[in-house]
Amino acid sequence: MMKRQECLETLSLFRPTDGVVVTSMGSAAPWSRISSAPLDFYSVGSAMGHSADFAMGIALAQPNRPVWVFNGDGSMLMCLETLVTICQTPPPNLVLWVLQNDTYEVTGNQPVPGASKFCMTQLARGAGFGNVHELDSADSMKQQLPSILDQTGPIFVNLRIETGEEPAPKLDRPLREHTVEFRKELLKSSN
Amino acid sequence: MPPKVIARSSGADPAALRKRSARIVQALSDLGTTHVVGVPDNLTRYLYEMFDADHHVQVVPVCREGEAWAIASGLWVGGRQPVVVIQNTGFFESGDSLRGTAIEMGVPLIALMDYRGYGSLGKPDADSAASFFEPILNAWGFRYLFLEDSKEAQILKTALDKAFELNQPVAVLMR
Repeated sequence: MMKRQECLETLSLFRPTDGVVVTSMGSAAPWSRISSAPLDFYSVGSAMGHSADFAMGIALAQPNRPVWVFNGDGSMLMCLETLVTICQTPPPNLVLWVLQNDTYEVTGNQPVPGASKFCMTQLARGAGFGNVHELDSADSMKQQLPSILDQTGPIFVNLRIETGEEPAPKLDRPLREHTVEFRKELLKSSN
Repeated sequence: MPPKVIARSSGADPAALRKRSARIVQALSDLGTTHVVGVPDNLTRYLYEMFDADHHVQVVPVCREGEAWAIASGLWVGGRQPVVVIQNTGFFESGDSLRGTAIEMGVPLIALMDYRGYGSLGKPDADSAASFFEPILNAWGFRYLFLEDSKEAQILKTALDKAFELNQPVAVLMR
């Protein structure tokens, strides 16, 4: 397993320059310290696990642009049906990254239901994802991501990370304001 | 003696429903709808069938209604004009997603909602899906209009204009 920081720093090396990155919960604040790209969207509340489906909507709207979403395992478990929904209308430009540490970290590291019992990659395969991967170190990410990201999406990558002490995230402005700014940037660079 | 289970019917005439659905599809297409997101029910099934056959609009079926608000919000952020089509029961189910995505993000869109149980209102055995519906819409500050026969185009346009004025979803209720 790896630390979240090295996981996100490694992901940043592979981030497509024209790509959207949607982050939520435990990944939002650490990503904001690594990246200052205008196409980062911070779905900090995530509405009880709805970042992946939100990102799916962006991916369907912008089919020529890579769209990544960093979801926590707790958030993914809250909306497992979204795995099936994504596969029903599969955006080829969507990469769903799940950062799994088996806890609800931002509320104090309570174990998620099924911690150490469920298999996230099996859930993704069972939902219909064809390209499913699991990586547990920065080295394996550096080795395998070039070929993984060459695949046609939707791609599912489970990243095994250590439990940390990340607090609940909060935006420095209203979500509505962030959404308007992000949308303007996204549509400007789509022309 | 256990109860007998019988079919629930909206009481709507299928032929009239198809005609109305065709008018709704035309009106939403004229308003620039690009995607229809939601879960079909007995009243909206023809809408889904007609949109499925329309290559200008993409239908995005979801497993639970909460996903509909999130996907529709992503579509709007990405420059598209989605419509959410769900039943009132799905509205109840999807509350926090609606709050945390479309409302908090300020997404202007039409939500076409089937008012299940409307005909039972005021009766002793009123469907709670109906009796809770408008009080909850009002409690959430969710603007809504009623769809009326042969005025679909006008009502849907009014709803979309209001959604853009308020920067939030506006519901159109189907009885």
